[in-house]
Amino acid sequence: MENITKKIRAVAKQALIDKEVDKILGWKKGDLWSDSYPVFITKPEDTDTLIWDLFCINNLSKFLIKELTKHDKIGIFIKGCDSTSFNQLLKDNRINRDDVVLYGIPCEGMVDPEKVKKIMLNERVREIKKHENNFTLISKNKNIDVSGEEIKYDKCITCISPNPVVYDQLLSDEVENSKHSGDRFKRIEEIEAMSPDQRYNFWKGEFQRCIRCNACRDICPACSCVKCVFDNEDAEVSGKAKTEGEDTFFHLVRAYHVAGRCVDCGECARVCPAGIPLDLLNRKIIKDINEVYGEFNAGMDSTTPAPLVTFKLEDTDTFSKKGGK
Amino acid sequence: MSLDTNTNVVNKNEEFKPLIVAFCCNWCSYAGADLAGTSRLKYPANIKIIRVPCSCRVNINFVLRAFQNGADGVVIAGCHPGDCHYSTGNYHTRRRFSLITNLTEYIGVEKERFKVDWISAAEGNKFATVMNDILEDVYKLGPNKKLRDARWKI
Repeated sequence: MENITKKIRAVAKQALIDKEVDKILGWKKGDLWSDSYPVFITKPEDTDTLIWDLFCINNLSKFLIKELTKHDKIGIFIKGCDSTSFNQLLKDNRINRDDVVLYGIPCEGMVDPEKVKKIMLNERVREIKKHENNFTLISKNKNIDVSGEEIKYDKCITCISPNPVVYDQLLSDEVENSKHSGDRFKRIEEIEAMSPDQRYNFWKGEFQRCIRCNACRDICPACSCVKCVFDNEDAEVSGKAKTEGEDTFFHLVRAYHVAGRCVDCGECARVCPAGIPLDLLNRKIIKDINEVYGEFNAGMDSTTPAPLVTFKLEDTDTFSKKGGK
Repeated sequence: MSLDTNTNVVNKNEEFKPLIVAFCCNWCSYAGADLAGTSRLKYPANIKIIRVPCSCRVNINFVLRAFQNGADGVVIAGCHPGDCHYSTGNYHTRRRFSLITNLTEYIGVEKERFKVDWISAAEGNKFATVMNDILEDVYKLGPNKKLRDARWKI
């Protein structure tokens, strides 16, 4: 990780000195051990703040939409899931490929601070060290050895694209696909196996914590409309009341609006202050698309049209016994 | 605090009168409903028909809003695949509503409350059958309490 940090700083500095790019999007260390947040750099001397560690989870691709209106050329560091988001933005014509320089970083999965806090209950974590696939959590009083599966984000454990699928320059060797990537629909199948009332109660319990902060929408790289239906007062799509129906309405519409374009980066669930597992809704749609219209992973390239903007004459459906013919 | 949703559901003493909202495509299904009417076929009066230009004009907002504002069942009816007035509209409907059917089922709304079907202008009979079927299913399930807006009153 230190090697990659050094490389990131060198690459960013050189690019800014050579005026190859106007701005660099990367990550910076925050105040706490678990804080690594996005940073935008325009001066070569500031590049020493850039880092690459176990907490660089933020998906930087979405920032490109706004930043490219102010700058002509932007350099960006991308992980696997960021690169699929990037492809999705290209496909939606939100950004121009020529305006961006991509520095790809193969990613072995990021650490979920919440999981670490649960393991190190009442201990102040100072540092997390990585060796091969295992981690050591270091606090003042004790050290605990854990495996990657215990503290990585769920989405990272089942990641299908750890290596960037699009880049101009790759900063390290490619990593192997996770052996757990086949399990990504396990949780969905568990929910599907419940009875309608159980499912309803499960989702009711989740949705009623929603405070309608719109963070899930704002961070989503596939949610890129200039004017969102939920912000459009004239459309009267969004009710303001804090009722169950309105919450369900918001979340279903949000999930459905990115259907076929969701790259399963899991940012919606990560940023949710109420901890609603929103990725379970999106992943359900991905699972259905895979089952009904054939395997499709959004963002793997920038040309294949999304399943919901296209059709085949011989399509089947899920709402009739005969297949709708 | 969320409002208590159980207070607004149909009074127990009253007889349950289901409300079905049917989104009908202007060119086929609406004409099918017309034919059912002119042929004097019997179908229940609990159906509120909303005429849309094409079945692909309906989006998930419409369906959820209908459920929120008092519908116990929703039907979306369009031309048979291949017969769309706009050539391809109902192919899109088919893909979208395949996913939406599964999604509404996934959050716990009973599958029987939500129906998509193809009804041509010549199928007055089919229109009556589809409406009778969904009404029967909804009768069995009872009033739709899920998804309902707490402020909604009959």
